[in-house]
Amino acid sequence: MAGEMLELSASEVEGVVVSEVIVGDHEPSPERGRGGVAILLTVAAVVAALIGFRAALISHSASDSWQSALRTDVKRSAAAMEDVSYLYQTELPIAMRIVEARIVQGEMLAAAQGQSGASKQGLLLEAGVEAEIITGLSPSSPLATGADYALASGGLDLGKRLADLRAQHPESLALDPDGLEATGDHLAHKAEMMTFALLPTSAAAFLGVLSQPFRRRRLLLLRLGAVALAGGAAMALIVEVLA
Amino acid sequence: MIAPDAAAELRAEKRFDLVAAILIGAIAVLAGVLAVIQIGASQAATRADLQAARLASDLSARISVSEQAIDSGLGSQQFALILGMEAAARQLAGVENSDASTTAVGQAQESAYQKLTAALTAMSATTGGAPVDPYTAGLLGATTKQLLTELAEQNRQVDLASAAGTHEQLAVLGLSLLALAGVLTGLAAVLREGRGGRISLSAACAVAASSGLLAILAVV
Repeated sequence: MAGEMLELSASEVEGVVVSEVIVGDHEPSPERGRGGVAILLTVAAVVAALIGFRAALISHSASDSWQSALRTDVKRSAAAMEDVSYLYQTELPIAMRIVEARIVQGEMLAAAQGQSGASKQGLLLEAGVEAEIITGLSPSSPLATGADYALASGGLDLGKRLADLRAQHPESLALDPDGLEATGDHLAHKAEMMTFALLPTSAAAFLGVLSQPFRRRRLLLLRLGAVALAGGAAMALIVEVLA
Repeated sequence: MIAPDAAAELRAEKRFDLVAAILIGAIAVLAGVLAVIQIGASQAATRADLQAARLASDLSARISVSEQAIDSGLGSQQFALILGMEAAARQLAGVENSDASTTAVGQAQESAYQKLTAALTAMSATTGGAPVDPYTAGLLGATTKQLLTELAEQNRQVDLASAAGTHEQLAVLGLSLLALAGVLTGLAAVLREGRGGRISLSAACAVAASSGLLAILAVV
């Protein structure tokens, strides 16, 4: 009776807060459900820590994959630049001189066929000079001397030569930075999904804490908290297994 | 008998407990939200940063390789042009000096020049062609338009990294403030109902609210 009177008088002053302020015979025991609150908060904290730890690990792996993609990209481009540079700056100038000498020599010899006297001698002399150039430079030019690279026009197949140079280092051709980046993206997505499991877990902690002052609704809040916690844990497990 | 002010004291204590409990719960929820934002923003910043670095590296490689191919092609054309000019000069000299031998050599060189030009055209067509791997072919065949497009994307990634970094900083600041709010709430729980406790709890509420505001700013 005294408790009811107190509740009535208090409700006139305090509104919402008073609905939970119950003294006397109908007030639930302060100890009731306290163990549940402690367990819910402890389990929520442990689950949140585990989820956070796992998400951080996955996120770190994603970052590693992206870093690796960058390093691999630099390595791949360096290997390609080296091969291209070797072909176009080292091999091609010598090979070009040989190609020119071959064509000029061929034309000199062909023209000499229809000439006589000084003209023929002059043409043969020029052809001889070109032959000397070819002889002198050929040993140092696998591009110009390789039968596989010769084109019908007298030129050289630069694409085939570059492919052969690149094939000498198959490991550089096998480099796949895009694949590493895709792996990083996948892991990042997984980490992000994992962190979403923190939301129901923290909601569980919220409900657990709230059940402490709201004694009348403590059991309901604890049950809701347990459901939220189970949801968060299940979400984390699903992401871990399926994502 | 119940003392006249007992109910008021009880109400105040209950209200204090209620505010403290709601604040702790709100801190827990905010911590979860800020952790999600922070990890997401951190990942976005890292990815954009590395993507920008990758694109910068790729641009550098494309510019270098395609320039080499272009330079080499121009160099080869110079070879042919020099031969053509030499042919013309010899023919002129042969005509001026009535030297049939020099004219014949010049004519042969002229013919060689034509063939060399044709050979060079065929060679240029093989640059970056099969069986060169697609990556190297892409480097060799990079056009100015492609490079500009890639440059724009690289700049966009830099901007993205910068924006995501700012969001991450806001989230980290929010988490730091949240830790402060937690400490202040703990202090209020120790001091209990009283001036010190109320001030501590009020400060915790204000700091937690600031943290919530930072969480919103970090998302927007």
